[in-house]
Amino acid sequence: MPSAVVIGIGMIPFGKHSDRSMVDMGAEAGFLALKDAGIKPAQIDACFFASGFAARLFGDMTVGQHVFWELGINRVPVVNVENACTSGSTAFYLAYNMVAAGQADVVLVAGAEKLYVPELGLINSGETEFETQLGLVASAGFALRAIRHMNEFGTTIEQLAKVAVKNRRHGQLNPFAQFRQPITVEEVLASPMIVEPFTRLQCCPNADGAAAAVVCSTSMAKKLSRAVNVEAAILCTGSYENPQDLTHWETDYRGCRLAYEKAGIGPKDLDVVECHDAFTISEILHYEALGLCPAGEGGKLVEKGQTALGGRIPVNVSGGLLSRGHPVGATGVAQIFEIVTQLRHEAGERQVDGAKVGLAHCMGGDKAADTKSCTVVVLTR
Amino acid sequence: METMVNIPPVVPGIFTLPPYDQIPPKLLGGFCPACNRYYFPRPKYCRGCLGQTEEISLASKGVIYSFTVIRRKPPLGLPEPYSVGYVDLEESGLRVFSLLDPTAIARLRIGLKVRLVVEPLGHDGHGAPRLRPYFTPIMGD
Repeated sequence: MPSAVVIGIGMIPFGKHSDRSMVDMGAEAGFLALKDAGIKPAQIDACFFASGFAARLFGDMTVGQHVFWELGINRVPVVNVENACTSGSTAFYLAYNMVAAGQADVVLVAGAEKLYVPELGLINSGETEFETQLGLVASAGFALRAIRHMNEFGTTIEQLAKVAVKNRRHGQLNPFAQFRQPITVEEVLASPMIVEPFTRLQCCPNADGAAAAVVCSTSMAKKLSRAVNVEAAILCTGSYENPQDLTHWETDYRGCRLAYEKAGIGPKDLDVVECHDAFTISEILHYEALGLCPAGEGGKLVEKGQTALGGRIPVNVSGGLLSRGHPVGATGVAQIFEIVTQLRHEAGERQVDGAKVGLAHCMGGDKAADTKSCTVVVLTR
Repeated sequence: METMVNIPPVVPGIFTLPPYDQIPPKLLGGFCPACNRYYFPRPKYCRGCLGQTEEISLASKGVIYSFTVIRRKPPLGLPEPYSVGYVDLEESGLRVFSLLDPTAIARLRIGLKVRLVVEPLGHDGHGAPRLRPYFTPIMGD
């Protein structure tokens, strides 16, 4: 029996919401999740709110209290979570653990972000870090992996582009995705060069957006037929050992292995995966860490169409970060929204037939050629 | 060289300061004699034993492990385009993140032998010039 279940999810379409505040977006996603769960505000025992950039871009603190107050939730514990790109999935991890530990029966998780702000520039991992001062931006960290992967395994620029093409084709089917026009390999490669080898269409777009989920104890959820089981929720940080192998990402492999062990499954059991495709190479590296293919063969996996909808193991059927957009604090929760939707068989045109086991994978932050945070959630129904 | 002496390092304590006419610039790392572990930059405590690390100067030569070129919106007044990469240093074997010579972008490749240079490059985020270390191809390689 799982330690916790998801009983409700909510999300607003990702895109440019210039007229909406983070609180407004987060509250709507939370409202939708409460309605989906059929839960009243008074039944919520605790809340976690995720945002990666509220403090940096708006000077805002403790945004979560505002979000949850809008939903009539007060008095209970409210925690604000920042963990770079995994802020949302870290909030989910904390909610899961609180319920699994028996400290709460129903916990609301919401993540929101506004990234359409003027002069945002290329995102880095913190102004005070020496790598940032030496010119490291998030896209360069992944570009260094891409060029090394191409050098070691013969991964081609066309294979990288095919990740973007596939995820856009998926995004076309997802009303929550920001970009829904199909693109070709030629268009991906002809878009402006940002950081070699990434052209613009190989980098996930910024977005405004919000997503939410209600985590519930198994005993309380017995009557709720649409509940989805949380078999594992893993959070790990980098080893930061030197030297790091840029193509065999130890922290990524470790996070995935821990999740498989906890859930008692392996890669062959998966029906659908959402992973952190911040850049095209990211998805290829995560295929390998997840064991969807042998090390070095991620480029071939996407080329053969095995990770497309209808393929052996569909990845990022939501459109992923590349097509859905990446409102940092919302992303980790949006991935769980997608997997829950898939396991409920309510994903419409983008439904993976007969999906029973799904996995949501996220990563955040750079330090010493490693990631600062890796989350892996396994869900079943 | 006189003007360089008056320009502060972008981050204190990660490379030797000018003048460099006698001794070429070196990155400053940490070493734990008890654990025989090298670090860059130098941490106060060794991750293995929590003993105090010693400051050491690292080899100024190495080989490019990977590199990339940033073509848009350079931060901190860096040139457009500019290049960064990981360099495997001689002796310690550390794989260090670094800027690469922005005037040598066309020559960069994995496996290229490089040496360290420190020069004014970019600013501190508010327009004041800063010394930054970068690796440049060794002539003849």
